[in-house]
Amino acid sequence: MNVKKIILICSIILVISLILLIGYGFKNPITAQKKQVTLTAILSEPKERWDILFNTAQQKLNEKHPNMDIKIDYTVLPYDATRTQLLTAMAGRTPIDLVSVDQTWLGEFAQGGFLSDLTDRAKSWGKEKDWYQTNLEGGKYNGKLYGIWAWTDIRAIWYWKDLLSKAGISPDSLKTWNGYIANAKQLNNVLKDQGIQGVHLVGASQSPDMWYPYLWMLGGEILKQKTGHPTKGTYWFPAFNSTAGIKALEFLKQQVNAGIRPQINHFWGEEFADRKFAVMLEGSWLLSAFPHEQWTNLAQKIGLLPMFPVPEIGRKSATMLGGWTLGIPETSQNKDLAWELLTTMVEPQVLTPMLQKEGYLPTQKPIGEGPYAAYLNSSIPYYKEMISMISIGHIRPNIPEYPQIAENIREAIDEVYYGIKDPKQALDEAAAKSSKVLGWVN
Amino acid sequence: MLFKSIFRKAEPYLFLTPAFVILLLFLIFPLFWNVYISLHDVSLVNLLQGWTYVGWQNFLDLFEDSNFQTSLKVTLEFVAGSVALQFGIGLLISTLLNQKVRVSGVLLAIFIIPWTISAVIAAFSFKFMFDESFGILDYLFEKIGLPSVNWLSDPNIVIWSVVIANIWYGTPFTILFLTAGTLSINPTIYEAAVIDGTSKFKSFLHITLPLLKPFIVINLILITMWSVNFFDLQLVMTGGGPMFASTTASLYMYRQAFEFGLLSKGASVGLILVVINLVVAFIYVKLLRVR
Repeated sequence: MNVKKIILICSIILVISLILLIGYGFKNPITAQKKQVTLTAILSEPKERWDILFNTAQQKLNEKHPNMDIKIDYTVLPYDATRTQLLTAMAGRTPIDLVSVDQTWLGEFAQGGFLSDLTDRAKSWGKEKDWYQTNLEGGKYNGKLYGIWAWTDIRAIWYWKDLLSKAGISPDSLKTWNGYIANAKQLNNVLKDQGIQGVHLVGASQSPDMWYPYLWMLGGEILKQKTGHPTKGTYWFPAFNSTAGIKALEFLKQQVNAGIRPQINHFWGEEFADRKFAVMLEGSWLLSAFPHEQWTNLAQKIGLLPMFPVPEIGRKSATMLGGWTLGIPETSQNKDLAWELLTTMVEPQVLTPMLQKEGYLPTQKPIGEGPYAAYLNSSIPYYKEMISMISIGHIRPNIPEYPQIAENIREAIDEVYYGIKDPKQALDEAAAKSSKVLGWVN
Repeated sequence: MLFKSIFRKAEPYLFLTPAFVILLLFLIFPLFWNVYISLHDVSLVNLLQGWTYVGWQNFLDLFEDSNFQTSLKVTLEFVAGSVALQFGIGLLISTLLNQKVRVSGVLLAIFIIPWTISAVIAAFSFKFMFDESFGILDYLFEKIGLPSVNWLSDPNIVIWSVVIANIWYGTPFTILFLTAGTLSINPTIYEAAVIDGTSKFKSFLHITLPLLKPFIVINLILITMWSVNFFDLQLVMTGGGPMFASTTASLYMYRQAFEFGLLSKGASVGLILVVINLVVAFIYVKLLRVR
């Protein structure tokens, strides 16, 4: 091929490329001038909830900023991996714009300087008053707001109506400690030939979460403030080994003595949906163990008692509120836009369809009680009953030492389950270890 | 001339440089960084701030921690059980596969399958199988009239349930490795032994085993190190419970560092595991006297 031919071919390619480029520019004049912004996020599974939220929020954000082309690049990870990934991002100072933080991790990541202080932004936003007080406080650490608690969950008593009926048990009799244990025995006797156990008792790592409601309903606390800390003046001190705590743990011991086997595997309600248990104390996420198309008639098959069993009739029950907070890392290079994304995601008209699809509970009054409530009430079984539990809901401490304290409590519960120690001794030892973790003892 | 002479002398070192840089970046630096962290007070809370030098305090704290002591005992059970059975079963199967059976190639491919599966998936499968409420094992036990076993909730049994899962998961490596070793033995040696009237068992004992020795040592070192460091199965199947009965030292390390954010404590356990691995490798080499 001679030089002339090469020059001719190159010229033709150049002209065609120019025509295409000019044509594309005329066709998309605005896109070409738009500022490209990609917001990054690290979030916890399940992915569907984030897909629903980001789909709408991204569209809204782009409408608000016609001069920008905003994209959201989000990574969804299993629960444990989310924490590891956040830690890695923190150590590597990776620029991330949005993270989902378990409410109990908030203190660690805030104290560590990973999360941005959102207090001033929230004040200008003016929506704090819409949040249930407990949920608003759950996003705070040392009086500053580091996370917006987006949705919550409660734990309650779920039961199969036909199985209770077969055993001749009235659901109301499950409301008291004595009734709960007596009925567990009765259910085991009647249902064991079918391979069904009477009631479920968590023996997995979440066992403290299912013990706290008994502690709270008896007036106890996990931790309380105390003066005289060697370095911090006033600081948290273990309070879970109080009389209330011991009585609460004795109730778990009574359950084991009655033949209820602690389940080391926790399948988050799947075991109930598979009819392996007639009664289960489980979170509101249990609904997602049933196909969505069954939700319409689900209340005919399964029942819900919006409470934990109480020691005696008349005692106010308690439950634990869990859920995810949304935070903005200090490393974010688009903090303003990330805040806009966050606030768009929690707007009732954006959030409600996701809550409806996944069966989560709101942390905002306008969704819980306002105009959106009717919509959710008609589509989520027992929505009204679950919402009523928010008022008796408590949250776990979100101080940095909490994961270690929960581990000590878990150990105490296990020791009681396996008959190694009595509740007082187990809790006292856990409290001693926890006070060391909290820096009260060297 | 001078330049050429210098280049000639430096040439071997230049060729070594890429390997040395990789070694430095990915092995030596992380190891020393780990040592540095273990001698300081580093947690999630002060990760981005100044770290205080604490000397051997992290190691002293560890040896005072009863849960860490338990984890060392559990590690010993887990590693001893896993290595003995993985090696024993692996050697048996690889020997059987070497008997010139037509289907041995297909069987080898089948035996390798567990090793190709992710450890997490294997762990979930065993978690479901061992479940005491709806696991297949207890169901089958019940069908044949045997009492059900608390595979995952009995502190005396749980580590052996994890060992069973690890044998299923890890034995294929031994089968593959020892089969490769067996194939490397010159068949004429066996032919000579047959002519001399040696039985199959005796030729296994006096020909196969001695000639396999280098493979056996490397295999033992590798499966021991992997078992010491492995925690995927325990994490998914039991979370280390009940009562820390399935918390091996590697799982203890992971939990300290990533669940509780105590990075220097985790780093200290990591270094102890390195030492354990080195000691075990040294013992194997010495015991089997490999040249």
